[in-house]
Amino acid sequence: MGDIVVLLKPALNPEMIRGTQDGSVDFDYMPLKLSDIDRNAVEEAVMLRDQYFKGSKIYSISVVTWGPASKRDKDVKMAVQEGLAKGVDEAYIVEDDSIVPGDPVTTASAIVAVIRKFGLKPDLILAGEATIDGFSGQVAGRVAVKLGLPYVSFARKVELKGNSIVAERDVEDYVEVVEAPLPAVVSVTREINAPRPPTLVQIRMASRKPQHMVKLSDLEGVVTPKRRLAAARVLAVKRKQMIIEGKTLEETADKLLDALASEGVIKA
Amino acid sequence: MPTSMVVGSSEDDIAEALTVARQLGDAVIVAYGNVNTGSLAEYGHKVYHVKADDPESVFLAVKQVYDEVKPSLIVAPTNKNLKDALSRLSGLYDLPMATEVFNVKVSGSSASYTRGFLSGRALEDDQVPLPAVLLIAARKVPRAQKSQAKGEVVELQASPTVKVIERRPKERGGVNIETAELIVSVGRGFRSKEDLKLAFELAEALGAQIGCSRPIAADLKWLGEDHWVGLSGHKVAPRLYVAIGISGAPQHLAGITDAKVVVAINNDKSAPIFKNCDYGVVADLYQFVPVLTKRVKERLHR
Repeated sequence: MGDIVVLLKPALNPEMIRGTQDGSVDFDYMPLKLSDIDRNAVEEAVMLRDQYFKGSKIYSISVVTWGPASKRDKDVKMAVQEGLAKGVDEAYIVEDDSIVPGDPVTTASAIVAVIRKFGLKPDLILAGEATIDGFSGQVAGRVAVKLGLPYVSFARKVELKGNSIVAERDVEDYVEVVEAPLPAVVSVTREINAPRPPTLVQIRMASRKPQHMVKLSDLEGVVTPKRRLAAARVLAVKRKQMIIEGKTLEETADKLLDALASEGVIKA
Repeated sequence: MPTSMVVGSSEDDIAEALTVARQLGDAVIVAYGNVNTGSLAEYGHKVYHVKADDPESVFLAVKQVYDEVKPSLIVAPTNKNLKDALSRLSGLYDLPMATEVFNVKVSGSSASYTRGFLSGRALEDDQVPLPAVLLIAARKVPRAQKSQAKGEVVELQASPTVKVIERRPKERGGVNIETAELIVSVGRGFRSKEDLKLAFELAEALGAQIGCSRPIAADLKWLGEDHWVGLSGHKVAPRLYVAIGISGAPQHLAGITDAKVVVAINNDKSAPIFKNCDYGVVADLYQFVPVLTKRVKERLHR
């Protein structure tokens, strides 16, 4: 069996959002972290390798969307090392200030360029269904079509059968069981597994695994970003955060209903 | 004259997308699945139809029309099948693509739009060159009007490489949580499926719809996905949202940013939902919810 490639995005951490004075997203302040659903993709890669691809290697490819490298390098490496600790064998990181802020056009073309440049021959390319910052879920599909491979999106269960992959996928109105010949590209949902945290030994080993830093000049066919991010504003949702207490549960219930009635949201 | 292409599987979706697409002038429609093409033809645009509705077949049909028409703008609703199908079209021709967009404006050789960003905690305004692929957010624009002229209908065929072995319709309870005015929503604080009846009773007393967090719909499957509120589920905008036994993960909170008043009931006073609610009750839901239901009934009928 061939190798596995897993796509890992060092994404802006939405939980650490902060606005500047005028309410714009303060990108300089926001740290990056490994996108949540990518953890499921790594976990699935490791499980499939252990079950079907013994002796195969797992490569990760990350394309840095949010720069500049001087500010983001540490976060990027932390995110990638999390993948290495979980079981990725070798990581490729495309970090180049000439393609930030990136977009899915750039990311997909850079991933394909890395696969070609370094002669990776994956039987399976795994990705999360979407990333926590952009959440548009389009990079895996772009990579599949560029490589001319079958694409199975939103998989929540994956098995191998001979030289095919059988996956249960969660599309809009149906749950489908589909079969696709390998090599294939698969995007996974959170339901596919419960990612195990890496052990201390794994974390220590991770820093010794190969991490290849790749520049744009090393690659061919990378498309520069087409999306121009004109503005990004923090959505301020102000909630009152009032804790309602009473001597008895009845009193608490009444105080709550009084508050809701005075807001005009119920009549009780 | 520049042309746009609208893709969809229901007349509602297609009529909304047409409103956006017609900014550019003429349009063609690519419809897939079980849809009344005769009715679609009454919008006055040429209709291409493919019977299959799996993402790969839709991609193959869309590609065929794209190659023939060379549209400057592709507009579609945001759903999973089209995220898949149109990501492939976008990848093939390196087109910019965005999902859940609104405020779409087309001028000259570019389009601008707004969309949610950072798990619903921010909005981004983007500008992209044409041709571009835009998956629009539902119910943000009116439906386009039908026209006097009738468009031609062309049937397309597609032969996908991914084989569909089995297909099960998702459980649908006939609820439309996105338009609900009042929502009682349940989370992992409930210990069993049977216990959800505590919330059902409160919902009935209030006249509310039932919502739920991700684990209840996706992992435990206690409720169908049409109840799922959150980033990967449904975005809701009720005047009252009562979160019971929901801790308040960021992905869930992203789905309730448009709620007018949020009430949280949870026994863990450090749960993030209390930082994101208007009124919080720190209590065991098993004790508090029945009392609340009783008081709602008594007060509503006094």
